[in-house]
Amino acid sequence: MKGFYGEFGGQFVAETLIPVLDELDKSFELLKCDKDFNDKLNDLLKNYAGRPTPIYYAENMSKKYGCKVYFKREDLLHTGAHKINNSLGQALSAKKMGKKRIIAETGAGQHGVATATVAALLNLKCTVYMGSIDAKRQSMNVKRMKMLGAEVKVVDEGTKTLKDAVSAALRDWVSSCNTTHYVLGSALGPYPFPKIVSHFQSVIGKESREYFENLGIMPDYIIACVGGGSNAIGMFKGFLDVESVRLVGVEAGGISDKDGEHAARMSFGKKGIFQGSLSYVLTDKSGQISNVHSVSAGLDYAGVGPEHSFLKEIKRCEYHYARDKEALDGCLELCKLEGILPALESSHAVGYFIKNASKFKDKTILINLSGRGDKDLEIILENMEGAI
Amino acid sequence: MKGFYILGGYPDMKKFEEVFKYLAEKADFVEVGLAYNDPVADGPVIAEAASKVVKSNIKIDDILKIVEAYKKSKVYIMTYANIFYQYGLMEFSQKYGKLINGVIVADLPNRMHGFFYDNGFDIPIIPFVTPESREEDIEGLKGTKADFIYFVGVRGVTGSNVNFLDDELVEKVKFVKKMTSKKVVFGFGIKTKNDTEKVMTYADGFVIGTEAVKRQTDTTQFKRFINSIIE
Repeated sequence: MKGFYGEFGGQFVAETLIPVLDELDKSFELLKCDKDFNDKLNDLLKNYAGRPTPIYYAENMSKKYGCKVYFKREDLLHTGAHKINNSLGQALSAKKMGKKRIIAETGAGQHGVATATVAALLNLKCTVYMGSIDAKRQSMNVKRMKMLGAEVKVVDEGTKTLKDAVSAALRDWVSSCNTTHYVLGSALGPYPFPKIVSHFQSVIGKESREYFENLGIMPDYIIACVGGGSNAIGMFKGFLDVESVRLVGVEAGGISDKDGEHAARMSFGKKGIFQGSLSYVLTDKSGQISNVHSVSAGLDYAGVGPEHSFLKEIKRCEYHYARDKEALDGCLELCKLEGILPALESSHAVGYFIKNASKFKDKTILINLSGRGDKDLEIILENMEGAI
Repeated sequence: MKGFYILGGYPDMKKFEEVFKYLAEKADFVEVGLAYNDPVADGPVIAEAASKVVKSNIKIDDILKIVEAYKKSKVYIMTYANIFYQYGLMEFSQKYGKLINGVIVADLPNRMHGFFYDNGFDIPIIPFVTPESREEDIEGLKGTKADFIYFVGVRGVTGSNVNFLDDELVEKVKFVKKMTSKKVVFGFGIKTKNDTEKVMTYADGFVIGTEAVKRQTDTTQFKRFINSIIE
């Protein structure tokens, strides 16, 4: 069935959005092969966003843990995370489709900032939806989006986090889809969004593959954090066909296995329909979406991109989780050993690596640093009093 | 076809029972909503009411027991896809297929009906038409086994404002009737008797949701409102 990855995906949205999703799909299929569009996008990715991002060999960490650790430095991009890859691609597409306004949802604020930034650049009106809890814990990003000229709509409903920001953005889009494009920030939602986002993020995997091919080796493991899953799918895309490379997605294990205290969809969720697609979801048996928790606003989400569910099902990728504490420890370790402050999202990948270091002995590991941690400083300090 | 949407279990089971019983005798059909905590198609009134029902942990089976006890008119269940999916698509069908006349699933567009049917659901799913629907989409509804086609009159959520005599809207409804030979029920945005009179000049029916749910907490007011529309 079109729009599915195995049994996952689909278009579980209001009928009103079907023509606009079809228009989006058609337009994307044309644009992704359009030379002018790709030239413009590649120029912006290079000269505006700062691509290609480097791959850094972490000597100190490698020495300490007895393996070769590399980091893909998406944190060095303009606006501080991989989110700019997708926002640039989608906003340019929106412009080509004649839309005057873009909307976005954001959890940690990185996608909101990236979208507000490209809206300013491309002279598009921009509204960003953000849950009130996230707006509070990421207040600097709220200010930043406003400085960039975006309207930030704080959502004070439900869990007051990313789930409700997505719902509010979907409600806006149902009313405004004639004039507005929804720059969905992760590889989830109704088809064709998972395909579009993974396409614009696949640049991460392409550059990484090229780097290792030039070295004449392949990593044994690639580790990336998974909220909605956009940085991970972008990275994994570059290596899906290399069977020797083990692909590991790390979710937010929160504080415990208890319902509402984590966001580990692959470990504790089940198949369900949520915000546009069928995927693994944290839901109860009566169909209500469960509360979630993560120290990182960007991973605090009850659903996951459908392609990840498919990759889990066919056993091409493995999914694990890191607890809040392990992520915070990973963050601090990377600061101290390498002088890099990772975002709390990426810190989950680092935390998982450290916790399981013995398993990686003598191996080559590539970790995707999807974003930088400046935005998380307050949370890190609050949680690590005494350790710093 | 005069229909009303009420939310199952709101504000409590006793009041829901009273309003359902009343409607089952008065209206041509009743839409019973099953609360969901991510109701993207609902405006603030229904969304807030749904949030209270979710917190009170009312079971679907309890709501349908009331439907079974008092059903006189046609009954359609309206909710979101995950509610049916977690219940079990086949299980829900087997249990309630004879009791209810159809389902309205806010996040199940027409092209996804096959997903439900392929997984064992065999209760008629009411198809949607919107102002955006294309000719080929409408043509595809000709063979629907549902009792009617649900015309979502607004680009937006429940409770929004609509110009019911907008030429484009009127023509679209007429086109759907002609193309599919099915009855068309107008939903979303209807608030008053005056609105229903306008809608009934070109549609076969209407459904009122937000204004009914607003009054579910006060059954006297609720009955008065229903009477003001029906009589």
